[in-house]
Amino acid sequence: MGNCLKTPTTDDISLLRGNDSQESDPNLGPPPPYQERVPVYHPSPNVSRPANQLTEEEQIKIAKRLGLISHLPTGVYDGSVKKGKECVICMCDFVLGDSLRFLPCMHTYHKKCIDDWLMRAFICPSCMEPVDAALLTTYESS
Amino acid sequence: MASMEKRLQKELQALTKDPPKGVRVSPDGTCRTLSEWIVDLDGAPGTLYEGEHFQLQFKFSSRYPFDSPQVTFIGTNIPLHPHVYSNGHICLSILTEDWSPALSVQSVCLSIISMLSSCTEKKRPPDNSFYVKTCSKNPKKTRWWYHDDSV
Repeated sequence: MGNCLKTPTTDDISLLRGNDSQESDPNLGPPPPYQERVPVYHPSPNVSRPANQLTEEEQIKIAKRLGLISHLPTGVYDGSVKKGKECVICMCDFVLGDSLRFLPCMHTYHKKCIDDWLMRAFICPSCMEPVDAALLTTYESS
Repeated sequence: MASMEKRLQKELQALTKDPPKGVRVSPDGTCRTLSEWIVDLDGAPGTLYEGEHFQLQFKFSSRYPFDSPQVTFIGTNIPLHPHVYSNGHICLSILTEDWSPALSVQSVCLSIISMLSSCTEKKRPPDNSFYVKTCSKNPKKTRWWYHDDSV
């Protein structure tokens, strides 16, 4: 790789660390060959496909979905959500400072948990209300 | 992976400590691995399955609860029901396309008990022998056709 930094050799390490060789794990083999991590998407529930194997249609669907998700309000848990203090996806209670996402049906989840689900199915896990339909009605009524 | 284990641990704890009536985490299966459970079910009193005992096997993928668990009846007593094949596969929409991560092992068990309870005639699905001969081992690979909501 085009890097002007000198790559450390065994010699350099022994100079820097002296006899302190306990830190390096003798069981560690050579690093795995460089590989680009391809993100995996779920164009429909129970379907997992690496990004480079998606059809054009699926790519468009995913791009649209990402856009829609980004329109859903987010917030940070400050203890004010009185009803339902638990994220039903991970079954953990909300902790002060957790990132939350609010769905139009008023159900609240951890942002990370619900975003993962919404990429698979655009419905609220609790009331099964389609999120896009609910989004439209919110826009119309406001 | 870690979030799946954490959630399964919570579910296992809750279901062992405070199970709904007729549902028990089987002592023989579950301790081996968190990704495979066996749950004992009792036929509900006052239904065609009163007094019968069944065993359900749950298999969880690393993407649980985003992916539904693989649920089948196992053991010697597979309930005679129009939505349960003789190999233990269950035709129930929440196990595939109507799955939601808000569902849990407990809610799946209760749905199955309720599915059994509303049965009015003990019989196998009409396509049982063909299905059992041709299906995949994993019921999630079956293209289920949910057309009968009466049971």
